[in-house]
Amino acid sequence: MTVLLRADGLTKHYGATIALESVDFEVSRGITGLLGPNGAGKSTAIKLFLGLLKPTAGSAEVLGEKPYDSIEVRGRLGYMPEDDCLPTAITASEFLTHMAQVSGLPPAHARTRAADMLRHVGVDEERYRSLGEYSTGMKQRVKLAQALVHDPIVVLLDEPTSGLDPGGREEMLELIRRTGKEFGISVVLSSHLMGDVEATCDNIILLDGGHVAEEGTISGYTRETQTILIDVDDKRDELVAALVRLGINATIDGHSIAVEQDSDEQFDEIRDALVEVDARLRRMTPRRHRLSDIFRSAPK
Amino acid sequence: MTEPAGELYDLGYAHYEGPREGRMRARKAVYSNGVRTVLGLGRGPLAKALPMLLFGAAMAPAVILALVASQVEGLDVPGHSAYYQIVSIILILFSAMIAPELLCPDRRSGVLSLYLVRPLTSTDYVAGRWMAFFSITLLLVYSGQVVLFAGFLLSAAAPLDYLRDHWLDVPRFLGAGIVVALFTTTLPLAASAFTLRRAYAAAFVIGVFIISAAAGGILTSCEDEDHELLDTPGECEPLTGEAAKWFGLLDMGKVPIHVSDMIFAVGDKDSGLSREVAKLPDIVPIGWYLLLTGGLALILLWRYRRIAA
Repeated sequence: MTVLLRADGLTKHYGATIALESVDFEVSRGITGLLGPNGAGKSTAIKLFLGLLKPTAGSAEVLGEKPYDSIEVRGRLGYMPEDDCLPTAITASEFLTHMAQVSGLPPAHARTRAADMLRHVGVDEERYRSLGEYSTGMKQRVKLAQALVHDPIVVLLDEPTSGLDPGGREEMLELIRRTGKEFGISVVLSSHLMGDVEATCDNIILLDGGHVAEEGTISGYTRETQTILIDVDDKRDELVAALVRLGINATIDGHSIAVEQDSDEQFDEIRDALVEVDARLRRMTPRRHRLSDIFRSAPK
Repeated sequence: MTEPAGELYDLGYAHYEGPREGRMRARKAVYSNGVRTVLGLGRGPLAKALPMLLFGAAMAPAVILALVASQVEGLDVPGHSAYYQIVSIILILFSAMIAPELLCPDRRSGVLSLYLVRPLTSTDYVAGRWMAFFSITLLLVYSGQVVLFAGFLLSAAAPLDYLRDHWLDVPRFLGAGIVVALFTTTLPLAASAFTLRRAYAAAFVIGVFIISAAAGGILTSCEDEDHELLDTPGECEPLTGEAAKWFGLLDMGKVPIHVSDMIFAVGDKDSGLSREVAKLPDIVPIGWYLLLTGGLALILLWRYRRIAA
């Protein structure tokens, strides 16, 4: 599998502060989440891959080249920063055309790509309006569009849903999924929001305190557990008592009842207990691991 | 049956297969965008007003001088070097207001971060912006000189004789134009590198210009026997005596003019305040000009390397 980004013993110190310490990881095609709490080293890692910072030791490679030394490779990278980065006085169309040219595209091609990209992110009709008049959601789309306008091989997104309302966030996550799956542009999504990563990513790299705490596929972290969750409309406590009487390890877990499953026969016993107390069953489902669990289990 | 007027296609996403011209294209894009920014192209009417005013203000002295020369025979009309003396003041004032537009908004709105992750260094970026402003300034001062030269030529009794006697003015104003434009480009851009607000940069440059002109003027002025201040320095002993020629260097608006005057070889004939400075060896005003212009350029580059890191 093609390795797009490679951190090899990557270390970055700011004076006495250690941002990243001898980090090794690889990013291949697809959507990869760079997850971690604030101060974990996510932004430093992104800046190292963009060539904005020079590593203290080790290397950050993009497509086999070091972007700090070889700036031409940056023409194949896209970047959407977390902070504001749009001018206010010019139109989205002019801005994107200009950014495409700064990425190396000739003017005629840049104009076509800018129009196409604005259509893909859904700001087609507003493209001749001044960016200062745009809503937060539209600005985020233009920020994404400028990162994609030169058709990069990999795009780095820093907290792309920051400041968006739930509707806007959902639309942005959908755009990110489309970028990865439909446009075929690999994505590195840096976020401290597990929901964003869970909803979009194939793989994750968990950074904590300047180290890689975990890495793997999302499905590996969200697989089913041996716990069954039962939701009933009423008589919850009676049902727990009935289950315990049948020798089942049942406990109250939030609004649900959690049962540690040890055999398939248990489903019959649960059914019997439900009939016995005459409780109305709403839902019965295996519990899945959540990404938030890895934060708790990650070594400190 | 009528033919359908057109068909709709969902084109989907298509990868870009065209040419990628890398760093050279990026530099050109920053330059041409800089030119558009200075001229206010692609922006509202207000953004265009200031450059148009500048153009008018810079051309007016040339047009007036040319008209006077054509209408009044035998009058000793100030020439090409005097034009630079007038226009350098106009240029500094307007550059102070226009140049910050090239640098401040990009840093203030965060657009700079998008430039620096592309195939472009901070030096490429700032050099592109600088070149954009320099070329427009140069074009402007040359336009004024061309109008002036054409005016003098056409109003001369014998244009061919005029051309034979004055052709050297052309390389002189071309060379001196570069000297003036280098300074009036670099000073306001260097000031703009230190503030996010255009108004602060403009106020700083105009402040430096006014205060230094006042300081230079007072320290090189002189008074007659009745202790009346004279505004024709050089015709009496300056208040600051021998040191006056050094104090003349203080006037920032005159820094490029001292060198421009030397190029026109007018020496101490009609160069106003620079008269005192003319008593210094030529190398001093030239060195002072190079030190200031080069120093400001280095500060500008250094500042952007710091911002990029």
